Amino acid sequence: MEPRRKLISPILVSLFGATVGGALWHSDAMAQVPPGRLLASQCSQCHGTDGRGPGFAEIAGKNKYGDLRDMAHRRVEGVMDRQARGYTDEQLRLLSEYLATTPESGGGN
Amino acid sequence: MNILNRRHFLQAAGAAGVLAAIPRAVSAQTTSPRVVVVGGGFGGATVAKYLRLWAGNVQVTLVEPNATYIACVLSNLVLTNAISLTRISLGYSSLQTNHGVSVLQGRAVAIDPPGNRLTVQTDSGMQDLEYDHLVLSPGIDFRPAPGNWNPELTPHAWEAGTQTTLLRNQVASMRNNDRCVITVPRAPYRCPPGPYERACVIADNLRTRGRTGAKVILLDANAGIQAEVEAFTHAFNVTLRDWIEYVPNAQVTSVDSTTRSIVTTARTENNARVLNYIPNQRAAPIAAGLGTDAAGFVPINPLAYATLAFPSIHVIGDSASVPATDGRGIAKSAHMANSEAKVCADAILRTLSGDNPDENIATNSACYSPVTQRTASWFSTSFVYGDVFTAGGEVKGKGMDRIDVGEAPADRVNNDTFTEMFTWADSLFADSFA
Repeated sequence: MEPRRKLISPILVSLFGATVGGALWHSDAMAQVPPGRLLASQCSQCHGTDGRGPGFAEIAGKNKYGDLRDMAHRRVEGVMDRQARGYTDEQLRLLSEYLATTPESGGGN
Repeated sequence: MNILNRRHFLQAAGAAGVLAAIPRAVSAQTTSPRVVVVGGGFGGATVAKYLRLWAGNVQVTLVEPNATYIACVLSNLVLTNAISLTRISLGYSSLQTNHGVSVLQGRAVAIDPPGNRLTVQTDSGMQDLEYDHLVLSPGIDFRPAPGNWNPELTPHAWEAGTQTTLLRNQVASMRNNDRCVITVPRAPYRCPPGPYERACVIADNLRTRGRTGAKVILLDANAGIQAEVEAFTHAFNVTLRDWIEYVPNAQVTSVDSTTRSIVTTARTENNARVLNYIPNQRAAPIAAGLGTDAAGFVPINPLAYATLAFPSIHVIGDSASVPATDGRGIAKSAHMANSEAKVCADAILRTLSGDNPDENIATNSACYSPVTQRTASWFSTSFVYGDVFTAGGEVKGKGMDRIDVGEAPADRVNNDTFTEMFTWADSLFADSFA
């Protein structure tokens, strides 16, 4: 199973926010959003959150751009041959580069 | 619950003498933002989970009347006793313990857009929740039925649970020469392949139980099969030919649950053993109150799923009307609701950070349908953001343009695909609820 994030105390968050004063709320997470993350999340319905299962083949930690391009252009047999046609080539590259950076399920986080 | 609910949070923060001193307009920007999600189906669960996954300092409250969600996904297999309701029952404990989502059991009854406030009816009375963003994922509502329809007698089973059990028991009671009448609603409706899938698995069940002369009559309000045309045409004409009769252009003009009779523009069926009337559909009331299009669903901006009148109120899933090319609409499905939820979550977080929503977006649905009790097909449909077109080919604006659609090749409608269907469902369940 994937490691789980720790809960964050709403009180501590609010104290921090108040200390910062008038600054607009800022998500650290959003400050460095990898460009392919949202696109790659569309793979997770069938490959698990961040590509780490449960589901079909685990895709975390791998760059599948070449495979996806092949699927997008070959004769349709499996559902992935259709799903790969659902993105522009640039989108396939972006989501593949993002997934290559995600930890595999056995590799910790 | 593993995190404090909002009332306790405010009390605690107020006791600390900090938040209470800050005017609301400022505190809304300096404390962690609050997102309230209405509806704990696939769309609502996914948006709540991904908001927390992608920004742990956003407070997310999920408002849902039921303690357990029973998925429509795979629910047609419950009708033939292939699986149990437990198999498709999903809880909220993972969202709470693994992702820090606060779950409030209650029914959203009113929105105050200028006040950024949602009123929720709970067992302990009315509660107001303030939000910076509100996401509505309330599913569908049924349009009023013509005639005299009582779903306790003639179930729709288009929201899974006791309705599914009722229809299952009625199907089990079928004898030789009995008829099971099923209606296909006028498009758009939840789960385009669903009624055809249901007709097929029930027909196959009658066949394997040896119910001689028994039949499923499928009355379709539309001019033709709405999804997986090849797979279902083959099932109707070949595999299940003696057990199923498909009637297109059959718009319901009257239903009578007492006699289990139905009148349509193409066919009248009286005294059926089972009448599974699936009504025409529209957005659920809490979303519909924000304004609907002619089809009865809520128009949204496809980059953030924000309503046109209120940028901080979003509608995802079955209630939403996503701008698309004419005749190439977005399928209303669990998978698509999950897909839209991620786009919505990302857009909310970018907006809260002062950025614009991402325009490089794609959504998809890939769903598996049993065609018999041992074989299944699949349906895949994909959309990217860009120009969308009228039927005449003229640009009508921006939206989600369908760039691919298709179903399983005929030789793939088999038992391997039937097995894959469970992998798909379990993955979708986990990505949304775990």
